[in-house]
Amino acid sequence: MIDYQNIIQIVQKIFALLGTIIYLIFAIVMVKQVSTMSQNVYDKFNFILKIFSYLHLLLSIALVLLALFVL
Amino acid sequence: MNRSLDLDTIAPDDPVTTSTSPQKKTIKKTSPPPVKESQAPKPSKSTASKDSEFRQKVYQLLKDKTKHPLSSMLARPKVFRFDSQDADEEILLVLRRHWFTNLSWVIIFIFMLLAPLFLGSIPFLDLLSTSLRSIIVLFWYLVSFAFAFEKFLSWYFNVFILTEERVVDIDFDNLLYKNISEAQISMIQDITVSQGGVSQTLFNYGSVYIQTASEVPQIEVLKVPNPNLVLKVLQQMRSEGEVESLEGRIK
Repeated sequence: MIDYQNIIQIVQKIFALLGTIIYLIFAIVMVKQVSTMSQNVYDKFNFILKIFSYLHLLLSIALVLLALFVL
Repeated sequence: MNRSLDLDTIAPDDPVTTSTSPQKKTIKKTSPPPVKESQAPKPSKSTASKDSEFRQKVYQLLKDKTKHPLSSMLARPKVFRFDSQDADEEILLVLRRHWFTNLSWVIIFIFMLLAPLFLGSIPFLDLLSTSLRSIIVLFWYLVSFAFAFEKFLSWYFNVFILTEERVVDIDFDNLLYKNISEAQISMIQDITVSQGGVSQTLFNYGSVYIQTASEVPQIEVLKVPNPNLVLKVLQQMRSEGEVESLEGRIK
């Protein structure tokens, strides 16, 4: 007998993983872009923006790990 | 009759009479002694231009303007730099879009933050497991943060810079495309200020269009605060450039 509940859970996990990995790529691009922008235009506040971009990247990694291990 | 010896006034068939007692003219060379190139008085561009009347007027116009890094209009910032800036090039003005233009995305961001509170009203979400729902909520907050952050970056890094030599417009269309256009102040041909609508009149912001004779035909400085002040500063800098080019001081 086919365990539909199990299949749904696997599909959910695959979609969650795919979504979070794509988002992680976006977060990496964002870090890179903030760094490039900061090279073009420099001001005191750039440092805080870099911290925010790295924080965003860390949260994105945490989300991938959550999708991988919790689901 | 003595005729002039001046060649201009002698006809080809005129009889030429030479004076028997020619007056000796001693021509004294009055030209100054050759000066070594290193000793020649070279007009220092920075000092000459900074002390000019036009520059003083520009400084006067920008006197009360802020230097805060998050301001829409930074006047003569101390820390601010840009990539292609020369070592001794002074930045006079840095412009970003007026803060009022950020209001729309700030409101959207607030609604995005509040949205998970109404998650219970979406029927099919009850079918999902608790862990998946919490991941979706976390993901939503991250997307909301990324949305606001991207909008802020777009506002913060899209700048128009006026230096003592040129105007530079740095545009990051989104996270992946950037467009940098610049023109020498001497290349500026025409400046147009456009201001209209309720919000622009109320908060005194508008757009400045700079027509140039350089490769970039027009530089658009959109929705910046106090466009009339920008126009005045640009006019002063143009006048200074014209005077400098007449005096031969320009590069």
